[in-house]
Amino acid sequence: MNQATRRSRQTAIRLFAQEYMDADLPEEGAGEYDPSFVITKLGAKVNRALVGGVIDRVERRETESGSFYTAHLRDPTGTHRFEVASFQPELHADIEEILNRFESGDRFLMLLVGRARWFETEDGGMFTSFRAEEFSIVDKDLYTHWLVEASEATLRRLDAFEASMESDLTPAALESAGVPSDLIDGMVLARGHYGEFDTENYRVGILQSLSMATGSDVIIEAPSPQPTLEQATEPTEEVAQAPAPTGDVSEVLLETIRMKDDGGGVDYDTLVHAAVMAGHSREDAEDAIDNLRDIEGSIIEPRFSFFRLTPE
Amino acid sequence: MHSIQSFPCSYRLDTLPLNVGETMSDDGRYATQIAVVKEECKDADETEIIKEFKRYEEEFLIPPEDALRSVIRKFQIAAGQEVSTISSRSRPAIAEKKVTKFSELKDDDKNVTIEVAVVSYIPKIQTVRGEERQIAYGWVEDSPWEGERERWDFTDWGDHSQNLTPGSVVRLEGVSVNFWNDRRSININRPSRVTVLKEGGQPVTKISDEPVPISEAGEAEGIVSVVARVLSKKDDQIVKKDGSGTLDIVRGRLADPSGTIGFISWRDFNHEVGSLIKIDRAQIRRFRDTPEINIGDLTKIEPFHDSSFASMDDLQSVNRSTISELRDGARDIEITVQVENWQARTFTNADGEEKTVRSGDVMDPTGRCRLTSWGEMNPEPGAFLHLKGARVQFWQGSPDLVIDSVEQVIDLSDPPWDTIDPSDHWVDVNLTELVNGGSRRGIRTSGTVVSIANNSGIIERCPECRRVMRDGVCAEPRCANLGPLRGEEDVRLRFVLDDGISNASTLIGKEATEALIGMDQSQIKDAIDANTRGGFIATLRERFLARKIHINGRAIVDNQGAILLVESAELDTRTPEEAANEVMSHWGVVL
Repeated sequence: MNQATRRSRQTAIRLFAQEYMDADLPEEGAGEYDPSFVITKLGAKVNRALVGGVIDRVERRETESGSFYTAHLRDPTGTHRFEVASFQPELHADIEEILNRFESGDRFLMLLVGRARWFETEDGGMFTSFRAEEFSIVDKDLYTHWLVEASEATLRRLDAFEASMESDLTPAALESAGVPSDLIDGMVLARGHYGEFDTENYRVGILQSLSMATGSDVIIEAPSPQPTLEQATEPTEEVAQAPAPTGDVSEVLLETIRMKDDGGGVDYDTLVHAAVMAGHSREDAEDAIDNLRDIEGSIIEPRFSFFRLTPE
Repeated sequence: MHSIQSFPCSYRLDTLPLNVGETMSDDGRYATQIAVVKEECKDADETEIIKEFKRYEEEFLIPPEDALRSVIRKFQIAAGQEVSTISSRSRPAIAEKKVTKFSELKDDDKNVTIEVAVVSYIPKIQTVRGEERQIAYGWVEDSPWEGERERWDFTDWGDHSQNLTPGSVVRLEGVSVNFWNDRRSININRPSRVTVLKEGGQPVTKISDEPVPISEAGEAEGIVSVVARVLSKKDDQIVKKDGSGTLDIVRGRLADPSGTIGFISWRDFNHEVGSLIKIDRAQIRRFRDTPEINIGDLTKIEPFHDSSFASMDDLQSVNRSTISELRDGARDIEITVQVENWQARTFTNADGEEKTVRSGDVMDPTGRCRLTSWGEMNPEPGAFLHLKGARVQFWQGSPDLVIDSVEQVIDLSDPPWDTIDPSDHWVDVNLTELVNGGSRRGIRTSGTVVSIANNSGIIERCPECRRVMRDGVCAEPRCANLGPLRGEEDVRLRFVLDDGISNASTLIGKEATEALIGMDQSQIKDAIDANTRGGFIATLRERFLARKIHINGRAIVDNQGAILLVESAELDTRTPEEAANEVMSHWGVVL
């Protein structure tokens, strides 16, 4: 982007949850009004995105400055987290309606335009989410159109990524290798930051989405262990008031996995709940899980949202 | 392992680590998941559970193993079982702590700003979950400018290697103190900022004198070198603004096989039209949106010998423009157009002279624009004109061709293309090409609606200047001075269209809006009255957010982005299956 177009509106990147969740490279704008980005492994520079999925969680929290909402949308590859802030009252009526429908047991598909947000832990772990700008409840037809758009955008990035593997990591070399100009900047940053990874993982969501859209009766599943009874979530209770923290949050998490993992892993909510029961905040628990997984490497996430101790 | 594939990538399922199952009509395949759900929610009805898993699988595209958590939560809520709602303890923002010495820091300080000297920087690759990450550790010292220094360890988690070269002095912002084993050290995190205050090593700069193609020179900033043929030149004079006289200059045009570019020489330019020259270290400057090569005191020009370089005849054809290529401020344009209509208008200028200006709408296969002539000519609609030495002026955001004398015009008897029907002449341009080009009329493009402005629907226009009024007030000072004005209601939609690569603000006027949403002005007004403006916008959002639409209209492009002025709009009618098949054939995906 040249200087003249810097202030113009950021384009909404289409991407699946997995690619966004995997991202841990932020780029903060240098000046006050410069946009910030989350850069994915495939080189997408995400400031604004168009994402979708089935509603999977909506919560209202009361803060001193007003109501604040967090919600999850699940697409075929994972979960998009988004929030509606207390200073976005224009969205509160709509999100309240969604909260009510959700709490009454309704599940439905949504599409969302949001701005990238991230949260970092002390030691470099990162958590990506969106702040909602506009959203709406959609039918399966429109959702499937989005799946196709997200598939195409991901295919385009995969193609650019593969082209970049045979090229020097300079803008000129990437351009002559066939990387489209909108992806060059992000590709240089992504390739310089992320280590090797298997791009095949990103194709699963594409193939699922396209086979869904074409009505193909082939079911595509990522390899995953069969669920077991032991994997079920622990019964949960209302936590009225968080007691004073007991012990280190990481220790609580590791101990919980040690106790409850019978081979299938312990799910995310159980871990967060255990940490909260021990008096830690939800944010700390979420950070600590990321930290244990990404930095210390002491736990692994063999499939989305289920955690095991790293084998000795 | 990376699988490296050649373009276009194509893959088949059998190359993927996937399980391809068959659709089973038997609901028994949910048995494992049902058991888990019943364990958690004793009273849940099995048929309901099956229905839910089916719905997740078929409607939301979530396979049963992955839907487990969501389904359990749903039945817990339905059964009145409390699902942990966790009271939030919001994280207080940590105030920035600015210090000059390490001794001022406490064990748990965060968001610290300090200036330090970098003593050493040792990168290290750490493998986490099969992924390689670069971190680094080393020493930094406080009080880098004067006085006694203290040395601490640091760890760089954020790969700031570019800015942390040994020997440099840097300002660290957003770093934190790490206290471990009775030792304090600095954590430089990913969001931390590192600003270089004094360079460590010598920065290496390289200035290239390699000539570049003219098409590239036109995109460049600063100093360039080109090899080109002189296409035209003429002596000109510039009147100095301070009234101290005039300056002799030479204007003209250069060409190579990649394109043409205008030049201004601020000193003698003794190269004939047709000669091939190498211009070293000229400067690119922009007149409005048009780049020009400036030849000044530092520029070196010498004859260049290359018998295979494109001839004048070849280059003349490069110089021919199309309407889509016109940019504000361009000069010396050679172009062929088809006339749609023609008018003459007489007016009295500031000196009291009566003048006539003639103008009309013209077209070519790439779009439409207006043509203004200061010479007397009266072409018939449908005539083909070949123009030479035309210039481009912007009028209301669109490039207009201007000619100053009829000698610049040749009326063509041989049509260069099949006559275009002006009533249905829309040129397909994809959104990204449109946004990266210049302003254009007569285009057709498409994009997905990613924003619906809250002032869509009924607006009030100032009766004096037609601008949109806010809260009954016109922002135009001369109208505001007229006292309270009664606005005239009009209909308009403001969307943002976005194709995932580019985006454009989109204004849809009254007729196009009424046709698109199937409501006329009074119905829209009734809907807003009955349902509030917010409610009306919500219905628009339900109908249009994330939908692809096609528009006919014109584009105004400037450095703030692009605005589409829509004459007609319609929803994309493809089915998801058709869209998916297009994607699969384009990218070579085989299911």
